[in-house]
Amino acid sequence: MDERRTGWLLVLLLVGQLVFLVIQGGQDRTSDTVLERWGLRVLGPAARTVASVPEGFSGAREGLRLRGSLLEENRRLRREVEDLKLRLLRLSDIEQEMRRLGSAVRYAAPPAGRIRAVDIIYADHSSWLRTLLLYTGGQPSRVNQPVLSPSGLVGRVVSSSGPYAKVQLITDRAASVGAMLLRTRRQGVVRGSGRGSGLVLDYVPLQTEVRPGDMVVTAGIDGVYPRGIPVGTVIRVEQGGQLFHHIELAAAVDFGALDQVYLLENAPAPRRLLETQPGGRP
Amino acid sequence: MAALKLLLAVAVAVLVHLAGQQTISGFSLAVDVFLIVVVLHALGGNSLSAMLVGFLIGLLHDTLTNGPFGLFGFADTIVGYGTARLAQRLVIQRPSGVLGVVSFAAVVQQSILVVLAFLLLPNPALPDLVWVVVKAATCGVLGMAAYVLSRRWRSGAEARRRSRMSRLRLD
Repeated sequence: MDERRTGWLLVLLLVGQLVFLVIQGGQDRTSDTVLERWGLRVLGPAARTVASVPEGFSGAREGLRLRGSLLEENRRLRREVEDLKLRLLRLSDIEQEMRRLGSAVRYAAPPAGRIRAVDIIYADHSSWLRTLLLYTGGQPSRVNQPVLSPSGLVGRVVSSSGPYAKVQLITDRAASVGAMLLRTRRQGVVRGSGRGSGLVLDYVPLQTEVRPGDMVVTAGIDGVYPRGIPVGTVIRVEQGGQLFHHIELAAAVDFGALDQVYLLENAPAPRRLLETQPGGRP
Repeated sequence: MAALKLLLAVAVAVLVHLAGQQTISGFSLAVDVFLIVVVLHALGGNSLSAMLVGFLIGLLHDTLTNGPFGLFGFADTIVGYGTARLAQRLVIQRPSGVLGVVSFAAVVQQSILVVLAFLLLPNPALPDLVWVVVKAATCGVLGMAAYVLSRRWRSGAEARRRSRMSRLRLD
């Protein structure tokens, strides 16, 4: 093909890609593309293989090193399991009592979600397009499914293909989470600050008292994350503009130390609710 | 044969990227192995092939990032085509020339990504200039190393073929 034709082909290819990008940019990352799913299918197994190699090595090394102390650890873990079983019994008593009280005042409690442990097979939390790839096993994940760690909120699934899922971290500049200050119950929107694992809490009015050390949890108002998951802690409060504070948060999760996360298996937001949300997709 | 070599190069790039990300924190900030493959392929001078390879490898890279799908596809298409056109006009055979071209391509790619981010992302920010320079330098050095190694391997294979041919003639 001569250079002129190649030039035209280049223009066509670039315009096509630009249109594709603009269409995606207009959406709120609530759906994934076919190409993205194919890419996940191709790269997912490679990422999983690469991720399992150091795990295998370190597992074998750890096994050799700890051979003597495994028996003692086993005994300690058994005791811990017994303690936890007792605690669970007490907590289920409290849960029952809460339900009884709730039904007495006719309060419809939100359905509690189940959690499922999944493996991280690729993590990039340092570049400006932060990514986490997960291996979810036999049961595939769905787009917008919340991803948690024991310390707090990690993000949500933005693309899913078979047993592989791509997660948007809450520290991503394009991510936003409906959140509230636990002490004052004032709601706002948490976004990634783009610097390390920093977060900012927007739209909290100047009249609200905010102090460093205040805890921020999900508010359950965005149709994606249920209420009460720890998001971060306030580390700095400044007067942002005429109306709102500029609040900086430290994320509850140490993204550099994640090796396993949990998918929250809560029911998706009702179709009617998504239809009323701008940019929402059923 | 050329397609097979390219596939092998892409597979190696994927493995190096995944392993690097697994072991070194901030690997993707400092190196873009996919870009090195695109530029080294484009140095062959075939602009159509360079453009398409840039597009496909860019999309592969997009799978491992979290922006709008196609950011790297767009940037690598331009970088591939531009490098091939450059290679048609200049004879780039010295390793230092390859270092310069790969480093320059890395800067161009990151500039395109920044422009796209400002056009498309809701909350864009300029990347750290230090990391831009580090990435350009690292890509340049790795690209040069890959170029030198492939040239040595090629000349070694050529020498072996010649000696085999001369032995056949003597027999």
